[in-house]
Amino acid sequence: MLTDITVSFAPHISKKHSTRSVMLDVIIGLAPAMIAAVIFFRLYAITLVATCVISCMATEGICNLIRKKPNTLDDLSAVITGIILAFSIPPAFPLWAAIVGSVFSIAIGKMVFGGLGANIFNPAMVGRAFLTASFGMMMATWTVPGTIDPNMPQIAASENAVDVRTQASPLAYSKNAQKAQYGARELNESVGDIFLGNVGGCLGETSALALLIGGIYLLIRKTISFHIPVAVLLSTFIFSGIAYLINSDYYASPLYHLSSGGLFIGAFFIATDPVTAPLTRRGMWLFGFGVGTITMLVRIFGSFPEGMMYSILLMNAVTPLIDRMFKRVPAGGLPSAR
Amino acid sequence: MSVTSKKSLTFPGGIHPPDKKSLTVDSKIHTGFTPKEVAVLLSQHIGAVCEPLVSKGALVQAGQKIGDCEAFVSAPIHSPVTGKVKEIALRPHVVMGRSMAIVIETLPAHPVKRGCVQINEEFDINKYSVEKICEVVREAGLVGMGGAGFPTRVKIEPNPRLPKTTMIVNGCECEPYITCDYQVMLEWTKQIIIGIKLAKKASGCSEVFIGIEDNKPRAIEMMETVLGSLGADGIEIVPVKTKYPQGGERQLIRSILKKNVPTGGIPPMIGVLVLNVATCAAIAEAVVANVPLTHRVVTVTGEAIAEPGNYYVPIGTSLETLLEVCGGVTQKSARVIMGGPMMGFAVADLTTPTTKTSGCILVITKEQMGKAKFERRQTACIRCGRCLEVCPENLNPTKIAHAVKNNMMDVAKSYYINACIECGCCSYICPANIELTGHIKTGKISLARQKKKVP
Repeated sequence: MLTDITVSFAPHISKKHSTRSVMLDVIIGLAPAMIAAVIFFRLYAITLVATCVISCMATEGICNLIRKKPNTLDDLSAVITGIILAFSIPPAFPLWAAIVGSVFSIAIGKMVFGGLGANIFNPAMVGRAFLTASFGMMMATWTVPGTIDPNMPQIAASENAVDVRTQASPLAYSKNAQKAQYGARELNESVGDIFLGNVGGCLGETSALALLIGGIYLLIRKTISFHIPVAVLLSTFIFSGIAYLINSDYYASPLYHLSSGGLFIGAFFIATDPVTAPLTRRGMWLFGFGVGTITMLVRIFGSFPEGMMYSILLMNAVTPLIDRMFKRVPAGGLPSAR
Repeated sequence: MSVTSKKSLTFPGGIHPPDKKSLTVDSKIHTGFTPKEVAVLLSQHIGAVCEPLVSKGALVQAGQKIGDCEAFVSAPIHSPVTGKVKEIALRPHVVMGRSMAIVIETLPAHPVKRGCVQINEEFDINKYSVEKICEVVREAGLVGMGGAGFPTRVKIEPNPRLPKTTMIVNGCECEPYITCDYQVMLEWTKQIIIGIKLAKKASGCSEVFIGIEDNKPRAIEMMETVLGSLGADGIEIVPVKTKYPQGGERQLIRSILKKNVPTGGIPPMIGVLVLNVATCAAIAEAVVANVPLTHRVVTVTGEAIAEPGNYYVPIGTSLETLLEVCGGVTQKSARVIMGGPMMGFAVADLTTPTTKTSGCILVITKEQMGKAKFERRQTACIRCGRCLEVCPENLNPTKIAHAVKNNMMDVAKSYYINACIECGCCSYICPANIELTGHIKTGKISLARQKKKVP
């Protein structure tokens, strides 16, 4: 016998997914890059990711306690912030500094705005920007991968200890090549290694292949739409292509630019962060082209070797404007003036 | 103009919910059930409310007109049973909360066993003039039986200011669970085709498209066979893609004709008339057999129902009675919905009577609704944009809903809140489980209140 009747608005059914499952998909998408990081950087990968994830979650929990809000840890967004932050800092980064960066990411990057969904900037990128500004030297110290690559020219290599041998990241090297006006030709021959990730660089960014696999998984699962990644990669390709055509001895090739640095993790995982990206498709195209173009402007003309972080933060800032610019028009056309 | 050549006719947006039609898809229409008491609501349609024509204690015959109204946009009501008027009192109404109803006690000596009127004689369209069709359609109290309940006479009557050229017959039935229109198409095909021909003549349309979703091949085949035997005469059956809300009239017009009804406008503005298949069958009944609209097919379904099926029900039967006929509800805790799961109204009072527009009574439980939906747990919007992607009207549901939530009605208006058709796709797809459609509906009502259109 029916004794308990509930009512609410229609519809009365909903698709069986949740914010948590969407976030879980992103974590699965990041798994190949995690595996690549473990292969190339061994123990560094595990300790750094664990440190960042745990401190991000702890920060979110404490912030919720202070704000007297319900616990939001189970939506897993803090885990993603932790993983992405760990992926975008050098492998041998001091753990205390990684904790500082994680706390800044969550507390200042997300919770002060009101938590998930209300932040203007991608929290992981806010944390990374903070670390770059505070610990500039540490953020540019790259570890040689565990699978040591003899082909990669080693700059500023120190032989003091076996496990902290360092070398330049591919982009730092190309920057130096540009500044010192010597050729970029030999760089262009190492594209294969860079694509696989067998080079120095940030923990999770080095293997473009692993990130591509994860990105394709997200596209198949429809967790992200193809607009932003395609726009980022296409604009980067066009911009670096123009530079390469102007002087192929001086500038690195488009493929070199595409597969190095944070381009793939940025295009598939960070720029597509739904909270800080535009809602409409045309807005996504513009956002993606903006990210790609600013990245290449920084890489070619700026003083930093890598511009992914700045370009994403800058485009995050204009996202509300993009949304306002590309307002959707109802299918039936604009309503007649009333 | 031939549209059948195109492969799948569809519109941008929309969703694919699990269709769950297998519960009742093979259920023939059960006829011959007479309740002890019916409550015929005086407001069963869009437009003016009827005035009762009978008083307490009066004896009424089955099919007798018991309520009418002078207003143009209105439809009279008829008694489905022979009996005595017990009282004229307030009864629960799914949309309006409460409305006056004529409560009739059935006389036990006069059980009305009625199925759909079978039309056996040779049908000759020339016997019926345009004026006569329109007049009979009004007198029989016909309203759109797909859900909105717009008086059919107002729709089909020729209007010199907005001449109609194309008629679309809606046999999509895109909502999950419901199979009443499907069964009507299988069993009462002849009436539907005759009704279509009558409506075509009355409205002056030159072409007719019957849109049926491509997950109903048997219905398409059946309609084609009967259409062939009665003469096609400018009538064409077009299979359309299975997708919710394909059966929304704006979406169906977009799919078949590739035209958009203006925002805030109605189909006649682009010369189109849309009728439901069940309405067409009722037109044939009314015009050919002179039987008013007093019964309709209702799908009683859901996992919590003992014997789900399609029932031919006197209009005004209470949900309680109807659920008893179907073996009762097997669960203690459930949600009773009048209409489909996407757009239906949750009912709190089981004495609510059925109306001319209630095609489905759905009883579902927590398992089907999903735990989060049942407990109304919501998380913050992560701006994922899924609601924008599925919106068939190309709106920005999250922006509108949050504007309404924060009481910023000017923002809601600037994102075209009134263009929303309340199909529920955005709420369905939202991973954060936000009641987007609910917020938008609330906003529309409060905007209408500001203009003093509704109390």
